[in-house]
Amino acid sequence: MLGFLIGEAFRDLRRAGRVAVSAIVLITLSLAALGGFWLVSSNLERAVAKWRERVRIIVYLKREPPAGEAAALVERVQGVPGVAGVLYISKADALASLKTVLGKDASVVAQLPSNPLPASLEITPAAVAATPEGARVLVERLASLPEAEEVAGSADWVERLSQWQRLLTTIGLGIGAVLAIAAFLTVATATTLILHARRRETEIMRLVGATEMTIRLPLLLQGMLQGLLGAVLALTALVATHGLVAPRLAPLVSLTLGLPEIAFLPPLNLAVLLLAGTLLGGLGGCLARAGREA
Amino acid sequence: MIELHRVWKVYSVGPVKVPALSDVSFRIAKGEFVVLTGASGAGKTTLLRLLYRDDLPSEGDIEVLGYDLVPLRRSRVAALRRSIGVVFQDAKLLPVRTVYENVAFVLRVLGTPRREITQRVFDALRVVGLSARAQAYPAQLSQGEAQRASLARAIVRKPPLLLADEPTGNLDDAMEAEIIDVLKDIGGGGTTVVLATHQARLAASLRRRTITLEGGRVVKDEG
Ligand SMILES: Nc1ncnc2c1ncn2[C@@H]1O[C@H](COP(=O)(O)OP(=O)(O)OP(=O)(O)O)[C@@H](O)[C@H]1O
Ligand SMILES: [Mg+2]
Repeated sequence: MLGFLIGEAFRDLRRAGRVAVSAIVLITLSLAALGGFWLVSSNLERAVAKWRERVRIIVYLKREPPAGEAAALVERVQGVPGVAGVLYISKADALASLKTVLGKDASVVAQLPSNPLPASLEITPAAVAATPEGARVLVERLASLPEAEEVAGSADWVERLSQWQRLLTTIGLGIGAVLAIAAFLTVATATTLILHARRRETEIMRLVGATEMTIRLPLLLQGMLQGLLGAVLALTALVATHGLVAPRLAPLVSLTLGLPEIAFLPPLNLAVLLLAGTLLGGLGGCLARAGREA
Repeated sequence: MIELHRVWKVYSVGPVKVPALSDVSFRIAKGEFVVLTGASGAGKTTLLRLLYRDDLPSEGDIEVLGYDLVPLRRSRVAALRRSIGVVFQDAKLLPVRTVYENVAFVLRVLGTPRREITQRVFDALRVVGLSARAQAYPAQLSQGEAQRASLARAIVRKPPLLLADEPTGNLDDAMEAEIIDVLKDIGGGGTTVVLATHQARLAASLRRRTITLEGGRVVKDEG
């Protein structure tokens, strides 16, 4: 029975001809746009997450604490909400790391009359402080420490990246939605055409005892088929484009975003795209049906 | 099996009212073979259409196969029609399907297994002498062939009730005799048959109960 209904659905699809083809193309475009933006956005999201992990806040101290008190200070700062880890860097430590950074030019440092670098605390923010708001609050708290001279380092540019990612997602959803509406209407038009083409046939089918289900289910199925076909085409296009473009962009991406490669969409997202296409098509098939009954 | 009680059917054509059936009452028992006759326009097709609930009477009650047709819900109409084989006067074959597919269709909508379908469809086509035209499309058939395809479709489900509207209308004498034999065979097998024909000669030659319509009224019911 199911085989029969699917066969009827394919027959209907053929009958809709060019309109069905344009419906499928539109579904392909809308899902490819959606998927494309999704792909870029999910990679940006990965980059944001990665960079958030690396964010450090430096608290420069007014004075280097006496030898015994550094540990107590670290412990106290450790207790500040939003702080995950604290590393104490003495004036000497700071100078030593400057020397390593300078490498062969380290002799410049040796000529300094005294160590100009302040002692500092390197703070690793906890996950709660990784949001822009959380980071701002944490920076304020640290600045209010009596020992703090200045608090440096913030998640600013990571947040900007995160905003870009959200903007991109919104644009993607917007374009995808507009195309999806167009696709949905085209499926509905294709289905209406099918209804019209097979009006006489439907009449005869009813006369020989076909149930409403036998008559209508193929319409729903052909709509879903249009959607599924469009989704599969969109995914194929995405896979192909990704396969072609990702390796070429990899060096650039690794340089700017620090991502080893441009990852493809995870299986869950692919399933969502397939499902979205199928639902879109099925809905188009339903709408045409409702239109006829109205 | 079939019972009509004071059935009227009035068509409105613009402001004009055309009474196609006037106060028709009769009963047909299970297994009966009944000939419905009358001149062209007498109301035979109209009457048959009421029996398979293609249309509702303007007045009166109709019971077919235990279904009370006037209040019958849409969802049960399909069930009624599945128990009735109809040979339509204009064949009513699905245009974009072959003869085979047309006959198979009524089994498919019942969910009959594919292998059984093939067997039964070819049996039915053999009975009406259309096996050779199984792959033809309706547009490629002569009117007589189309009617025989319609008959094959009507009998393939072995329904308890067979309604045949001018099934021999476009056939030559030899073929007509063959089809009448098929109908008689089916009637002999316990199926109730109602055969509508405007050919008085054919009606007389059958020597069965004959209901005669004239201007939508039953004027004779005998045999
Ligand atoms: N849908 C309709 N609308 C208006 N009038 C109709 C309709 N169907 C049938 N009629 C009229 O009802 C009358 C009976 O028609 P019907 O088709 O039942 O006759 P019939 O006995 O089957 O004739 P034939 O032997 O030519 O098939 C005719 O006068 C016809 O014009
Ligand atoms: Mg007629």
